[in-house]
Amino acid sequence: MSRKISVSATINGQENEFLCEPRQSLLEVLRDVLNLTGAKEGCNNGNCGACSVLLDGVLVNSCLVLGVEAQGRSITTVEGLAGDELHPLQRQFLENAALQCGICTPGFLVASKALLEKNPNPTEHEVRYFLAGNLCRCTGYDKIVKAVMAAAEEMRAKA
Amino acid sequence: MSLGFSLPRIDARAKVIGAADYPGDLHMDGMLHARILWSRRPHARVLDIDLSAARAVPGVVEIFTGADMPRNEYGLVLFDSPVMVSAMRDGRRISTSRFSLPHDPADRTLAFDGIVRHVGEKLALIVAENEESATRARDLIRVTWEDLPVLDSISSALGTDQQLHPHYEGNVIQRYRVRRGDVDAAFAAADIVIEDDYSAGAQEHAYLQPEAGLSYIDEQGRITIQVAGQWTHEDQEQIAHALQLPLEQVRVIYPAIGGAFGGREDMSVQIVLSLATWRLGRPVKMIWSREESILGHHKRHPFVAHARLGATRDGRIVAAQVTMHTDAGPYNYTSNKVLGNATSTCTGPYDIPNVAIDTAAVVTNNPPSGAFRGFGAPQGLFVAETQVNKLAVALGMDPVEVRRINGWRDGTITAFATPVPAGCSLVKTIDACAAETLALPLSPTSAPELRRGRGWAAGHKNIGFSFGFPERSEATIELHGAAEIERAVVSLAGADCGQGAHTAFLQMAAAALDLPLKKIQLQLSDTATSGSSGSASASRLTYMTAGAIDGAAREALAAWGREERPAHAHFVYRPRRTTKIDPETGAGDPNITYAYVAESADVEVDIETGHVRVLNLICADDVGRAVNPQQIIGQIEGAVVQGYGYALLENFVTTGGVIRTGHLSTYLIPSVLDVPERMHSIIVETPDPSGTYGIRGVAELPLMIVAPAIVAAVYDATGVWINDLPLTPERVARALRKDVTHS
Repeated sequence: MSRKISVSATINGQENEFLCEPRQSLLEVLRDVLNLTGAKEGCNNGNCGACSVLLDGVLVNSCLVLGVEAQGRSITTVEGLAGDELHPLQRQFLENAALQCGICTPGFLVASKALLEKNPNPTEHEVRYFLAGNLCRCTGYDKIVKAVMAAAEEMRAKA
Repeated sequence: MSLGFSLPRIDARAKVIGAADYPGDLHMDGMLHARILWSRRPHARVLDIDLSAARAVPGVVEIFTGADMPRNEYGLVLFDSPVMVSAMRDGRRISTSRFSLPHDPADRTLAFDGIVRHVGEKLALIVAENEESATRARDLIRVTWEDLPVLDSISSALGTDQQLHPHYEGNVIQRYRVRRGDVDAAFAAADIVIEDDYSAGAQEHAYLQPEAGLSYIDEQGRITIQVAGQWTHEDQEQIAHALQLPLEQVRVIYPAIGGAFGGREDMSVQIVLSLATWRLGRPVKMIWSREESILGHHKRHPFVAHARLGATRDGRIVAAQVTMHTDAGPYNYTSNKVLGNATSTCTGPYDIPNVAIDTAAVVTNNPPSGAFRGFGAPQGLFVAETQVNKLAVALGMDPVEVRRINGWRDGTITAFATPVPAGCSLVKTIDACAAETLALPLSPTSAPELRRGRGWAAGHKNIGFSFGFPERSEATIELHGAAEIERAVVSLAGADCGQGAHTAFLQMAAAALDLPLKKIQLQLSDTATSGSSGSASASRLTYMTAGAIDGAAREALAAWGREERPAHAHFVYRPRRTTKIDPETGAGDPNITYAYVAESADVEVDIETGHVRVLNLICADDVGRAVNPQQIIGQIEGAVVQGYGYALLENFVTTGGVIRTGHLSTYLIPSVLDVPERMHSIIVETPDPSGTYGIRGVAELPLMIVAPAIVAAVYDATGVWINDLPLTPERVARALRKDVTHS
């Protein structure tokens, strides 16, 4: 067991300080140290996107980021999407049946949030292109794309 | 009525906020962590497993091997697999372990001879205070091996005297033989005969949640495991058998399941984690990496086949002959059952008076094969449907018309010499697909390197376990209240692997009890609270559970009428019995009923690169009665995309029994950029007279015929038939070039 390092980061809007080993990935820290199990390990290799989180607003695979890299930065996980109400993306995923087993869902939601923050009015092609780093084995993707388009429309109407 | 409307899934809210717990998300205070030492050799004798250095690693609590298993055997159909392969010198294993077959009275001794027969055999379970210590210890275990010759193909396993498994003489687990009419005479008299060879490789399930589990002793002293599987009660039986414990001493609970598709039907972490908790009395958790997941569970059966199809000039099929071998890997898993389905689909859903089928499941040192969505039907129907598509070309007939002429109808006698179960809707399903497809003509392309084409396929799938298996499904209902029913507690074990089963259960229970949804409380997926629902497989769960819920509801309401409070009912639903088939002729009544599917695919082929793009895929699926249309469309779209992967993309590579595509970077599954640009799903509802509420099933059907539809579309575009799956760009480009050179 190697020496642990103290890291301060903002996680889902809350100041947080945690101890982690230099070798631990951000995904391990979130899941095993901070008990935020929404981000999933599907491959630990950057292939599947199930561990997607936002690091200072940028979409990353948390399995490819070290926990210590979070120092002084802001992290958003699926647990941070909903306020008192579900985020429009969450509600549209629910209503459009854009999930089945749901293990990829946190990653898709976080990735979709990153997209809509950059591009509130994406074309369907842009949605597909942006989500190409997230794998889903259940849905065939069609309902995911529809849910993101519907959420974008809803968010534009509210804005 | 709560049937036929798209209730949002009951687990969706927890899943979108990240609160749904999958096995890997569970935590208990004081829990230990486990790792597996895998064989990683396809065929070798284990001379010694030296644990001394590993045991000395700080944090290591215990290391278990096969010698610790009270009964070192498991298997869903036959107990023919060791839980962990132990070293040869371990005399206890060799002398006392007995081979017991639940369906075969012959009790033969299986020499647990210390032989690993595939790369994913387990050798040891390392249990430690933390995962790092377990991993360090695993890497310090020293195994002394003697490598043995590897049989890495069907042909090498059939062409040798070397027997890989003591029970499978000639390296064959199971054969089926079907004979109807006189094929020789019929082929001699046929105007047209289509003859070709076909093959496909393995397919990996690649559910996004790798195997994981948490075992502990519950408050009643039971070994309890929370794991993702497909049949709680089967897991319970396998654990109890290997640990030699009474069933009630073992409890299996399924939390959220991250996809299954047949790949969680077999045992993964269940038995070894239970052993560790039983011996140590402490909670033990294990999570497999993606690479371990691909190493540690079975695949779809690779196959080779030779097929002949004879017809008259007016399009009547008069004879079909198929010889098919599947690669089972070294143990049965469910290979004999998969072979039954391949046998029952390989001549298609057609009225053919003369049939000869010979199939065999062959033992090799490749990774074991087993259940995968479709369960033999994707292989069987790839052969059957491609043969029929070639026949249509040879006849100069519309492929839809050939299917209309020959397709099963009520009363058709199948290759098993018994009638198709009543309610056959094949032609209606084909017509539904055709109407939608023909409304959208294939648009031309002007690019010189691109060719477009359209292909068709149809198919059938048995609902439920077949070939004489005693199908059953249980439900318990308790009605609470005084003057009126205030609350109904419905207990069911059926697994929601992501398909939405639990939401369908809720809707069916509300319908059966005529209660609003909010009065139904489900108790789910726990052997301690529910009787067996059977497996979430064989497209059976909605069909069988409907029967169980309906029966329990009727009995509970009767008890309520007799003023019982609470009114309690437990019901065991049993559909009509099926039979085995005759070993010489194949005569029998092996399947309860069928669902039907038809598809068309429009593709664009780049003749320079060999890349195939699917422009449009239309699927018509007769589900009998749609309990939740939105979830059914989800099943269709997801299955179509898995079928797309099987047809075009998913290339599982082994060399000498060793997996070369062990990650999602090398084993590619479809991404959102790969999938058909337009998918259209049509729900056909022809009530099945045997099914409760008219329900058939859906889960497997849309996958089964994507490959033959795409292969036919590629032919339509290029004039070249490709008989081997998957149609990778390399394979397509090579086939197109070969055709140019030859013509």
